[in-house]
This record gives sequence, structure tokens and C-alpha cells, in this order.
Amino acid sequence: MNTARAELRKLLTLPSLRRTALLTWAATLLLTYAYASAESRGEPLGDPTALAPLGYTQAGFLVLGVLAAASEYQEGGQIHTTLLAMPRRLPLQAVKALALAAVTLPVAAATAATSTLPASGATWMPAATAYLTLTTLLAAAVAGVVRRAVPAVILLLGLYFIAGPLLRARPGSLAAAYLPDTAALNPSRGAAATIIWTLSALTLAALTFHRRDA
Amino acid sequence: MVSLVRAELRKLLGLPTAWVGLVLGTLIAPAVVLLNAPYIRRAITAGTLTDPSDLGLRDLGIGLIGPMILGVIVVSSEYTSTGQDAPGARQLTATLTAVPDRLRLLVAKTTALVLTVAAQAAVTATATLTLTQVLHGEHVPAPAPTRVVAAILYWALTALLAYAITLITRNGIVPLTLLIINSSVVSVSYLLTKVTDLASYLPDIAGTQMFLRDTDFPVEIAPVTAGLVMTAWIVVLLAIGLILFQRRDA
Repeated sequence: MNTARAELRKLLTLPSLRRTALLTWAATLLLTYAYASAESRGEPLGDPTALAPLGYTQAGFLVLGVLAAASEYQEGGQIHTTLLAMPRRLPLQAVKALALAAVTLPVAAATAATSTLPASGATWMPAATAYLTLTTLLAAAVAGVVRRAVPAVILLLGLYFIAGPLLRARPGSLAAAYLPDTAALNPSRGAAATIIWTLSALTLAALTFHRRDA
Repeated sequence: MVSLVRAELRKLLGLPTAWVGLVLGTLIAPAVVLLNAPYIRRAITAGTLTDPSDLGLRDLGIGLIGPMILGVIVVSSEYTSTGQDAPGARQLTATLTAVPDRLRLLVAKTTALVLTVAAQAAVTATATLTLTQVLHGEHVPAPAPTRVVAAILYWALTALLAYAITLITRNGIVPLTLLIINSSVVSVSYLLTKVTDLASYLPDIAGTQMFLRDTDFPVEIAPVTAGLVMTAWIVVLLAIGLILFQRRDA
């Protein structure tokens, strides 16, 4: 319980996380407005309006996860202190994931609401919230393995915004159903993929954390 | 000045992340041409392709992640701490001790960045366009040299855009996120052009019109004007970055 409280406090006092959350929410608001105004002018932009802004602003949640995990390894090596206080690594990793999920959930809910409610897609809101939270956990797991913020951001954004769309755009492509971010636009189709990717990334991160020198 | 540029080049090419940018940026565009070849061939025979002269050039856009990474990393590496044991130590301190004149330092940095990206762009453009000629030679006219040069210029300008934003933010994550999202298949700038015609003058939308003909933006900008618009953005951002760099504590 103490560990959970400590991890929560560490996350809540990181200024970069607060800024990322605010910027993400603001960007969602802006994009929702852009989609809505395009729709009202009678030239809709293609994808379902309720979810399309989230397809872009999920980048904010990727960054959120990366910053949360990489902050332990940045200047000063906070991870050494953390491990002195809590030497059992696997429980620590589990608590870290739970704390991050608890912090992300309200941000994800607010962002999902901003995007889905104006487009009268309220039924998508729980799915979108879950998706954004899982994406944050996935990003944190990847950053826990990479341990540096900028390379982790390059890797994740490259996969989500360059490799993913390319693979999906190919006609007759099967890859679409297996990518972690398919659920962003099509929750009923990609949910399983998102959950499996996140769980495997978390497992991989826990194992490497358990075995590697801090 | 030459030794300054050489030092900056060596610093840049000594970064592992810079090599990620170099390798990714150089390989993605030719790889996409290869992967899309069957699909493009079908489109050519079906006659659905509106302007085949854009073909190889359009694929170049996807490699832009390379120059973006290089432009960001050349600045952000100066600000990351050099090691866990010395959290306050940053490379910038050593750099400024060696070159106290900040203007000269930025000129050298910019030169090193432009040289690297231009070389990368030249290699990538040659590879991508040769591959396009080999795969679809009989249907695609050889691209005009001016358009190839414009594409290389666009790569260099994109790197400078990333560089200028990073000079202002002093943090690599913000510009990387902005720019990578915007280089996605349907970019945010493109969405904005649907909302307001003014968005046609955003740097990436204007920039692509330097070398692509068949675009569906609301405002068509002539290639030279497009280049000037993008350059203007970069000059303004670089000027802000320079002023901040000279004023702020390292």
C-alpha cells in the first residue's frame, strides 16, 4: 500500500506528465472542433468523427507513458533510490503499472469524452477510455525496456503513425487486425490485439526489469 | 569555421539516435516503393493514377522521419544530461566553453545539419527514383531535375524546421511528437486545410507543393512561391530560436 502511494505521488508530481495531459486534451478539443466544422460544412473527413481525433491524440498518451517510465532513468537515476526502498522488483513493476493506470484513467476519460460526446458517440466512450489507458501502459512498458525517453518516443510514434498506416493502407492487408492501434478507429475489431500487445509488452518489461542491472 | 563544422558533424554522427534517423530515413522510401509496386502496377493498367510523374517523388515524403530525427537530436542531445552520476552536466556546457560565440556555434550546427540531411536526401532520392524507373519505367516519365532538387530542398527544410522548434523548446519530445504525427498518412495539416484555406500556408503543406503536382489542397501554390513560404516559416522560427538561445542561460 505504501508502495502504491509512493508511486502515485511520484507520478502526480511530475510536471511533464501534467503538461502532456493538458496539451493532449487541448489538442483533442481542437481536432474535435475541426472535424465537427468540416462535417457541418458538408464535407466530412472520412473516418468516424467520434473516434478520429483520438487517432491523433493517442500520441499524447504514448508520450505520457514514455515520460512516466523513463523519468526513473533520467538524470540522477531515481531508479536506484526506488529500488533501495522497494527491492522486490516484480511487485514494484506491478504497482507501477497500476499506479500509472490509475493516474491515466481520468485523463483518458476526459479526452475520450471530449472527442466522443459532441459527435454523439457516447457508446464509444468506455471503449475509447480503456483503449487510451492500455496504450499508455504499452508505451510505459516499451520505455521501461528502452529506458530513454527520446528513442522510445521515436520508436512508438514511428510504429503508430508511420509503419501502422502504411501496413494498413496496403490493399488486402491482413496486418490491420493484428496491430495494437487498430482499435483506435475500430474498437470492435482491434480490441483483442490492443489487450494482447499491452499484456505482452508489460510482461516483457517486467522480465527485463527483473533480470537487468538498474 | 571549418573546424567548428567538422566538430559538429562528428558530434552529430557520434549519436546512436542520429544513425537511427539516417538509416530509417534512407531505407523507408525505397522500401515503400518496393512494397507498393504490385498495387501501383495495377493502378497504372487500370488508369486510376492521375499523374504518374509524381510517383517516386510522392514516396519520398514517408522518409521524412529521418531529417526530423536529425534536426531534433542535433539540439536536444546538447541538453540531455551526460550521465546518471552527474545529473546537472550537459554537453552544451562543454560546447559553449569551446565556442563561446553562440551565433557562430549555431551557424556551424546549422551547416552540419544541412550537409548531413542534404547528403541523405540525395542518396534516398536517387535510390527511390531509380527504383521507380526500374519497376515502372515504361509508364513513368523520368522526373525533371528541378523537381528532384526541390524534393532534396524540402528534406533539408524539414530538418531545419525540426531544428528550429527544438531550439525553442529545448526538449526533443515536443517537436518529435508534433512532426511525426503530422507526417502520418493523413496529416493534421491536411485536416486543417479542410477547415480553413489559411492552412494551405502551413510549412509542410506549402513545402510538398515545391515538387508534387497532383495535390488536392484548396489553394494551389506555385513551386517557387511554395519554397518561399516554407523558407519564411523557417527563417522566423530560426530567428526566434536564435534570440532565445542567445538570451537564455545554457
